Amino acid sequence: MGHSTPEWVFIGAVTAILIWVGAESWNVEHSLEYAPPNSETVRVVGQQWFWSFQHADGTQEINELHIKEGIPYRFEIVSNDVVHSFSIPDFAILMDAVPGRVNTVWNVFDEQGEYLIQCREYCGMLHQDMRARLFVEPNTDNATAVSSESEPTISQGSGTAIIIAPGGGEVGSTGSGTMRVVEPRNLTQAPANDSTAATNATDGNTTSSGNASSTASASGPTLSIPAGAATPGNPAYAPDTLTVTKGDVITVTNDDTAPHTVTNGATPGDADAGQLFDTSIMMPAATAQIDTATVEAGDHPFHCTVHPFMTGTLTVQ
Amino acid sequence: MVLELKKPRPIWEIIFSTHHTDIGLLYIIASMVALFAGGGLAMAIRAELFLPGLQVFSGQADFSRFFTVHGTTLLFLWLLPFASGVGNYLIPIMVRYKDMAWPKLNAVAFWIIPPCMFLVWGGFSDTTWNAYPPYSILKAPGPAADMWIVGLKLLGISSVLGAINFVVTILKMKHPDLPLMKMSLFSWAVLATSLMIIVAIPTFAASLIMLYTDRLGVTGFFNPEMGGDPIAYQHLFWFTFHPEVYIFVLPAIGMMYEIIPTFSRKPLFSYYSGVVALIVISIIGFGSWAHHMFAVGMSFTEKTVFMVGTLAAVPSSAMHVFNFLATMWGGRIKFAAPMLFSVGAILLFFSAGAGGVVNTAMPLDFLTHDSYWVVGHFHLFVMGTISLAFTGFIYYLFPLITGRMYDTRLAKVHFVLTFVGIAVIFGVQHILGLYGLPRRVVDYLPIPELIIMNQIASFGGWAIGASYAIFLYNMIKSAMFGKPANPKDPFELGTGVEYYYDYARRDPHH
Ligand code: HEM
Ligand SMILES: [Cu+2]
Ligand SMILES: [Cu+2]
Repeated sequence: MGHSTPEWVFIGAVTAILIWVGAESWNVEHSLEYAPPNSETVRVVGQQWFWSFQHADGTQEINELHIKEGIPYRFEIVSNDVVHSFSIPDFAILMDAVPGRVNTVWNVFDEQGEYLIQCREYCGMLHQDMRARLFVEPNTDNATAVSSESEPTISQGSGTAIIIAPGGGEVGSTGSGTMRVVEPRNLTQAPANDSTAATNATDGNTTSSGNASSTASASGPTLSIPAGAATPGNPAYAPDTLTVTKGDVITVTNDDTAPHTVTNGATPGDADAGQLFDTSIMMPAATAQIDTATVEAGDHPFHCTVHPFMTGTLTVQ
Repeated sequence: MVLELKKPRPIWEIIFSTHHTDIGLLYIIASMVALFAGGGLAMAIRAELFLPGLQVFSGQADFSRFFTVHGTTLLFLWLLPFASGVGNYLIPIMVRYKDMAWPKLNAVAFWIIPPCMFLVWGGFSDTTWNAYPPYSILKAPGPAADMWIVGLKLLGISSVLGAINFVVTILKMKHPDLPLMKMSLFSWAVLATSLMIIVAIPTFAASLIMLYTDRLGVTGFFNPEMGGDPIAYQHLFWFTFHPEVYIFVLPAIGMMYEIIPTFSRKPLFSYYSGVVALIVISIIGFGSWAHHMFAVGMSFTEKTVFMVGTLAAVPSSAMHVFNFLATMWGGRIKFAAPMLFSVGAILLFFSAGAGGVVNTAMPLDFLTHDSYWVVGHFHLFVMGTISLAFTGFIYYLFPLITGRMYDTRLAKVHFVLTFVGIAVIFGVQHILGLYGLPRRVVDYLPIPELIIMNQIASFGGWAIGASYAIFLYNMIKSAMFGKPANPKDPFELGTGVEYYYDYARRDPHH
């Protein structure tokens, strides 16, 4: 190894660079590791193929996350089925959602705006559509006071939340499935005040589980979404062809553990998808009603906007 | 039979042979079939991503099947068998023994591979090559996923049998006059690779069985609903497959150690440094697997340990690069195809390693993980480094195997087109990753930057495809009609340079 001096210099330089990279990374990562104690906690639930967010005050959102600028947020990330990965590339946030584990990551969002949240771990059929939107909004109230008062523990029960209106669909390329969910108290008070309710006005047929409860006693035709429907190949709707007389009110129940919809159209891409009837997202155990009074006679294919492979047909006589 | 120019033999004599050059030839041909089949799938993948929305595929499900089979084929049916093939061809010659230590075992190891090909392609699974549970145990459709599991299981057996054979041939059958420290660096690389295979593969072999019984529902090792832990699988998987990336790359490095001094017409800069780097990497390579898992929720300490482990493995790769460059320095270099491909591989090896260091820096990995950056990173290795070196070595062995010379002009066109294609597609994919494009998606948001970069990447990919079509044409045409090669000096390197391999070895019954 007589002529090895240049080699030693080279190896020394490489090693020095590596040590510098390692030390810098250790430093940065160390400062990112532990969330400040006054962080707001948001529970992030990944599920084939959408995200839901539960805030400390009990509100729940699906595929949209509204947070305040400038205060620390701590995300508790869980999964209901397979491994997903919660990623907000604009803030270099990335953490896997692993069933059976609670992973946490925290951040202060310092710039208002709308950002993309996208699943980064392959999770099956609609992985590419597992997107959500992050809205960083101005911090109007006293953030520290709010966060220190609120109980950081959140109930995980998903069946209590009720949908009031579908929101816009720009993020998901299926053009649907973006729902804003608020807690029941707000719903009964003033559903019409919610800005997103306007999108619901295209036709009068859309019913939600919210107002379904008031007329649930009606005994008309029923449509159920059986357990396991979210897995391709399993029965999607029972029955999958339903024949009703015009004017009947169909009671839809979701017996599965995943959220679903009954939305007219053969696929989410159909021009009139959701125009004739649409239950919006029904959480597990929720019921909804479809009033066929204004649906023309004939065959109407329907599908689930969350799982477009779930299809069925409604025949109105 | 084109491949047996001088003394034609019926094809079944090669197929049922246990002679090391015949088995080596079968390995090389099988692996090249996989190269073209798997590469074909990539062409379709690039067509799909040329525009947002759906072009070629009906949805994510079909797309997932394509990239799963693409990755599985090229990693396990191209890289591994090709390295075994060249090893079979050359190791007995290099250690001066008449054959491999166990010729029949050698044949068995090869003949396991075609059924695996059938299982992987027949099933066309969509699990991704990582097959992470619980998706792979609860949701992935059968029988595709089951066939994938069984196929990989058998491949693991084949690799281990082959590796044992190499270790015994090198350590026990080596000619008594040949000390270890005089053995060629390619033999050292095969020895290091084989030892790593024997240590690394059983872990994944075990987890495949666990995956399979989990799929059957009789166990719940990785099923959270039955108290299992999906992350345990990821540890077992990467404990095999991080070392596996060195198992892929070391034979390529060994081949470059054959080619570079020969075409530089100069002795190797430092044999000793090459041996040390090979030994060091095959040990340290086992201490970095969880750098693939920074985002699964590991503790800060765990992340730090695996970051340090990964960084510690870098200097030995840097030593090879230095050794190559120092060997070329001041040499009378002849840029024939094997040398061109090796030099291209050195350049891309260096850039790929730099990208790897970025992935290893923990905070940056949260930007790059599971984005197109990672796709660019590892393709610079598997395609840009390993496949380039392998391709160069095919050109290098061509006169030895066929007795004829390939078309040198076409070979240069092949190199230029491939090199530019690789630099374009995988370079652009790094940037795509920084724009937040996740990997493994059939569709992406119609943002102008994403569309343009994906289109550039597609053109790069198709350039590689076209160049390999030229390669295939060159191989077939030259094997049949090429001009007979000079067995002593097929690359016309001039006096004083002997063609490395003993030509007479081609004859199985000498
Ligand atoms: C020796 C040749 C190498 C090969 C063949 C190789 C191959 C790969 C492959 C296949 C992956 C992606 C695995 C997947 O998720 O599907 C990967 C990821 C990675 N590689 Fe390499 N690699 C090599 C060298 C390196 C080096 C030298 C470094 C570090 C300096 C490195 C650091 C990483 C890291 C940190 C990741 C994980 C990135 C992520 O998923 O976020 N690799 N590599
Ligand atoms: Cu996903
Ligand atoms: Cu690795």
